[in-house]
Amino acid sequence: MTGLSLGEKQFIQGGIAQDLRSDGRKRLTYRPIYVETGVIPQANGSARVRMGGTDVIASVKAEIGRPSPLQPNKGKVSIYVDCSPTAAPMFEGRGGEELSTELSVALQRCLLGGKSGAGAGIELSSLIVVEGKVCWDLYIDGLVISSDGNLLDALGASIKAALSNTGIPRVHVVAEASGEDQPELDISDEEFLQFDTSGVPVIVTLTRVGRHYIVDATPEEESQMSSAVSVSINRKGLICGLTKRGGAGLDPSVILDMISVAKHVSEQLIDRLDSEISASTVSCSISQCLMWLENVLNLLSSLATQIEKRLMI
Amino acid sequence: MAGKASTTTPSTYSPSPNQRKRPPLFKDGDLDWVRPDGRGFHQCRPAFFRTGAVNAAAGSAYAEFGNTKVIVSVFGPRESKKAMMYSDIGRLNCNVSYTTFASAVRGQVSDQKESSSMLHKALEGAIRLETFPKTTVDVFALVLESGGSDFPVVISCASLALADAGIMLYDLVAAVSVSCLGPNLVIDPISEEESYQDGSLVITCMPSRYEVTQLTITGEWSSARINEAMQLCLDACSKLGKVMRSCLKEAASASEEP
Repeated sequence: MTGLSLGEKQFIQGGIAQDLRSDGRKRLTYRPIYVETGVIPQANGSARVRMGGTDVIASVKAEIGRPSPLQPNKGKVSIYVDCSPTAAPMFEGRGGEELSTELSVALQRCLLGGKSGAGAGIELSSLIVVEGKVCWDLYIDGLVISSDGNLLDALGASIKAALSNTGIPRVHVVAEASGEDQPELDISDEEFLQFDTSGVPVIVTLTRVGRHYIVDATPEEESQMSSAVSVSINRKGLICGLTKRGGAGLDPSVILDMISVAKHVSEQLIDRLDSEISASTVSCSISQCLMWLENVLNLLSSLATQIEKRLMI
Repeated sequence: MAGKASTTTPSTYSPSPNQRKRPPLFKDGDLDWVRPDGRGFHQCRPAFFRTGAVNAAAGSAYAEFGNTKVIVSVFGPRESKKAMMYSDIGRLNCNVSYTTFASAVRGQVSDQKESSSMLHKALEGAIRLETFPKTTVDVFALVLESGGSDFPVVISCASLALADAGIMLYDLVAAVSVSCLGPNLVIDPISEEESYQDGSLVITCMPSRYEVTQLTITGEWSSARINEAMQLCLDACSKLGKVMRSCLKEAASASEEP
């Protein structure tokens, strides 16, 4: 995005003041959102979310690990975001590190809740296999492929979709171990536990331009912002995390107003995301059925050719 | 605690085992627990500020809030690195580091990288960057002891150091944090209280302008609680602002005396 002329800046600010943005949207309207789940077969769960020009992928991998001694009844989750140079040439090498850290920290704050685990989107105690010895470590990785504004909301939505697609293998403890030894485990390949993601919060970023707030800002609109507030809200309407970005000061009453606007917007966003996620999982399972049928047919045809050969001989 | 030296070899000391067991902070369901240092829920720790802690720096400040001890040095405005582009407003460079002995367990505290960028965001709204174009102001914060609520103390101390360095500011920046422990809101938590918290709210504001420059919330909150916590914090910030101002006035009047 090259620099904006004075006329363009005034056009953006004036449009927002009149509830008609440059692409025709209203102030509180999101761009069309597309969700695909299961895009990375090797990961336990994955999703790709497109919001206008912004394209992000989130993948969830689960590995067996030891719980930390301070919290022996909880699994561990780590969230990391990587800004790929395909999004912008300045992200090459260490250039995207600052943005990556900011996004990772904001996502951790929104999804992992307080230190005691309250308000977390993911129930950490469900990741325990053997208390104090074996737990699941979840590694959630976000990748920004194309950046067209509003990265945090897209990443939050993709993590929610990836978690709904995640299957944790069922683990049976084969041999108990005493003391410090690790118990022997049998990790099944067939049975999977799914996450219940209705409790995972979504992130809504409100950008303040002039005296009005907009949702889902494009990079041009973001360059005109005085400040932005990213609020993470769950289905029950409770705030699970809040980050204020931008240097300008805000009156406290303005912040409370932004929180209530974000709550109002989040209800529609949660419904929309849930319907998109369930639509993508249905299409996934249909394609899986078709693949299974194909496999069976191949097997039958190879069996048939083998029987023919035997009969010929 | 070191034991007494034996009479035959006065230069050797052997530590004597000192069993000190502290009871856990609070048991679940204990409704009327008292804070370990005896404060009320809405009472902050007594604040101690002193400017001019580091002679070599353009400005510096030392802050002590109970067990949290922070020292901040400000260098600048200095010439920006040649590699940086020309800029007609000044630049701010912040760095927060923890000493290895700052926490109870030796070793790094986890949130070091993000502390530097958050300090930057908290201060940039208050500094008049256009008064020092083409130059950079460096703010280096060192947490000597981490006794809870570190980040707000770092911000308050940094703004005092900036004022001591003579950098033009719109207003001093005061920061306070509030912890949510079950149904209670506890202001200015110590590290023990922070480890049990259900949620935290850190607010950074400019008291005279009544503007919030940074707000960070973790954990689950309802809007009413956020309102309550914000009012509590803004009140505390204005009182903290007065304490900071009186510290600067003392330092100025002390330097005026011949």
